Amino acid sequence: MTLETRTVSTNTPHKRTFGTRLKASFKEHRFAYGLILPTLLFMMMVHMIPVVQGIWMSLLKLNQFTLGEYLKAPFVGLKNYSDLLFNENNPVRQGLGYALRNTAIYTVVVTAAVMMIGLFVAILLNREFPGRGFARAAMLLPWVVPSYVVGILWGFMWQKEGIINHILVDVLHLMDEKPYWLIGPNTIWAIIIPSVWRSWPFIMIVFLSGLQTIPEDLYEASRIDGAGKVRQFWSITLPLLKPIIAVQLLFQLISNVYSYNIVAMMFGNGAGYPGQWGDLLMTALQRQTFGYWSFGAGAAASFLLMIGMLVIVGIWYRIFRSELRAE
Amino acid sequence: MSKKRLSLVLLSMMVFMSVFLAACGSSNKESGKTDQSQEAGTEKSTDNATSGDKKEDVTLTAWIMPNSPKPDKDFMELVKPYLDQNPNVKIKVTVLDWGSAWTKITTAATSGEGPDLLQLGTTWVPAIAAMNGIEDLTSKVEEVGGEAGYLPASWNTTKIAGKPEVYGVPWFVDARAMFYRTDAFAKAGVDPATMFKDWDSFKEGLKKLNGVEINGKKMSAFGLSGKNDWNVAHNIFPWIWAAGGEVYNADNTAAAFNSPEGLKGVMYYTGLAHDGLVDKTSLEKNSAQVESDFSEGKSAIIVSGAYMVKNLMTPADQGGMGDKEAAKNFAVSPLPAGPAGQSTFIGGSNLTVFKGSKHKDETWDVIKFLSSDEAQLNYSKITGNLPGKKSVIDSLGSDPNFAAFIEATKYGKSYPSIPQWGPTESALVKYFGNIWDVVAGVSGTYNEASVQAQLDAAAKEVNAILNQ
Repeated sequence: MTLETRTVSTNTPHKRTFGTRLKASFKEHRFAYGLILPTLLFMMMVHMIPVVQGIWMSLLKLNQFTLGEYLKAPFVGLKNYSDLLFNENNPVRQGLGYALRNTAIYTVVVTAAVMMIGLFVAILLNREFPGRGFARAAMLLPWVVPSYVVGILWGFMWQKEGIINHILVDVLHLMDEKPYWLIGPNTIWAIIIPSVWRSWPFIMIVFLSGLQTIPEDLYEASRIDGAGKVRQFWSITLPLLKPIIAVQLLFQLISNVYSYNIVAMMFGNGAGYPGQWGDLLMTALQRQTFGYWSFGAGAAASFLLMIGMLVIVGIWYRIFRSELRAE
Repeated sequence: MSKKRLSLVLLSMMVFMSVFLAACGSSNKESGKTDQSQEAGTEKSTDNATSGDKKEDVTLTAWIMPNSPKPDKDFMELVKPYLDQNPNVKIKVTVLDWGSAWTKITTAATSGEGPDLLQLGTTWVPAIAAMNGIEDLTSKVEEVGGEAGYLPASWNTTKIAGKPEVYGVPWFVDARAMFYRTDAFAKAGVDPATMFKDWDSFKEGLKKLNGVEINGKKMSAFGLSGKNDWNVAHNIFPWIWAAGGEVYNADNTAAAFNSPEGLKGVMYYTGLAHDGLVDKTSLEKNSAQVESDFSEGKSAIIVSGAYMVKNLMTPADQGGMGDKEAAKNFAVSPLPAGPAGQSTFIGGSNLTVFKGSKHKDETWDVIKFLSSDEAQLNYSKITGNLPGKKSVIDSLGSDPNFAAFIEATKYGKSYPSIPQWGPTESALVKYFGNIWDVVAGVSGTYNEASVQAQLDAAAKEVNAILNQ
């Protein structure tokens, strides 16, 4: 590919900028661009208008008294942002620190666990064995359960006299005493484990489809050269799966940072407070915005979170840039 | 990786993503318990429209909450007599879900596009009124009995505290009382008449009741939900009030629940759990689970609303708890008196006329019908809640289970009716939750200082909310 671009640049008298290239591409594929135009417009409408509205809201003093005026509420400039970042007494800010910490732990642990379990099981299921189709379908079961149901179900299972403590203490004798899972510091595990349980099958299926595109002859050739299973994994499987890993990583990061359902349902169906070790950014923002009726400040916090997410996506893009280019 | 292979992978991912998104979409829909619109009953009324009435045809939209197992059908059943008499009126009922109702109602209030008749939770009235979302009914409420016809605690919730305007009419009342197991009391030798007298006798009674065995199963004395619940504040405030504490100061400008009296109330209530008189496993549960534990015989006493009587009286095949041991051996008593007297939580729902309604007179007419003694009594029977009207509440006194609730309504309190109550409750739920963490023994030591610290932090946040 590099060779090709070099020949192009030496053949053309002046360098082709991005703009001229886009123009040329547009001329060449006019019909195709026409076809995607309606979609593009709709996407703009559906995505851009709410985002712009949200940014505008974040500059307003929008609470239960001014909600009637909605977008004409008093303009306060960056006050919502400065309150959020620097005013310790701002009600909306309370508890966001815990939520941020928990979200960071939650996202890293869930993403890592889900990717590793997904890849491991995908490799197991990629070989020939009787009942393979059934096994693949059975593995998908947790993923079929809606996430709010996952929250309710695990909410029951985590109780002090629930099935999890029964297995841990009465059956396996791993602990001396039945711990609380839904109160106190253990809460973080009570939200991480169900999330992993629900998310890994999807990752597994995608990895499985990726594994099937890797030609068998690569493995055969490496076997002849004397490579073992481990070497094959590191030198063939993993590099060839890299584009998929990259995309999956992004999806996981985004969906975990924006995770809401499981936590909300596990603690009083959205009405309770998950606690200093259970609150995530989304549950905290939802409560601090709609519970406190501080819509302007909530919009500002959401916008800051969006910027944070963009930074993460930017870092992700820099790391995986080369993998995403189709050769 | 070749282009072809990559595109294959991406294609398969797209397919899975779309399935994934579809799954998300449906789960969201279910989790939001989508509002069910029903035009039930409208056809019926057209049948009667031939009675020669010359009034203009109107279709009223009513937004109600899931007040009963079949909320829309039950509501249409309730208004049927009215529709029969007024064939020109049709009612379209939409059932909102408590979780999403607030967003829907504020959106309606903002846009002016909404229902005609609107049910509001009592604590929402001042906020929606401040938002200019509902009609001022001051000049009309005398037609349904006015202030004198309703419980003071309920009537307060139809106004913004400190202002004369009335924005709604109490529809039904949620008051809390204690449900107890008569068989457990007999076995432990506890006399309910003396036990529910005051805090001291209540605690003594709990000590005797704790661990009492019925049918070979050990019972804990008291069942209560901790922080993973929607009643966190409603459970604690009766005890603060009974100790002489208040939510805010007299003119609702600063938090007052962190006073010495407030601390006393919180310490007494949470102390029952700390002293082992409450099964600590219940601290993780929500109200519904605590109620079901009571019906299963796991606890001898719980605090609940009048709907619990209906639950216990309804046979199991209709979704009730009628087949349980508890259903045959329960009685109801008001909460014991604290140092400053008796108290309990009063909530419920009010009927309001939406500001954007084009048929305000007809809507008021329906409210008048719903406030009639007959409709009040009927709806109370359907929902299990106490009726809003005093005369109708008093007529229920012959039922011993209701007698305790009627007694409780006399000194029960509602929250201060100010627009900032909602945010205040959100803040309180958070800090009361922290206190429950301390009680459960998973964060810090339980003593007056640590509880006071949480109350002070809550007060600081509430003051910031009030000064916003």
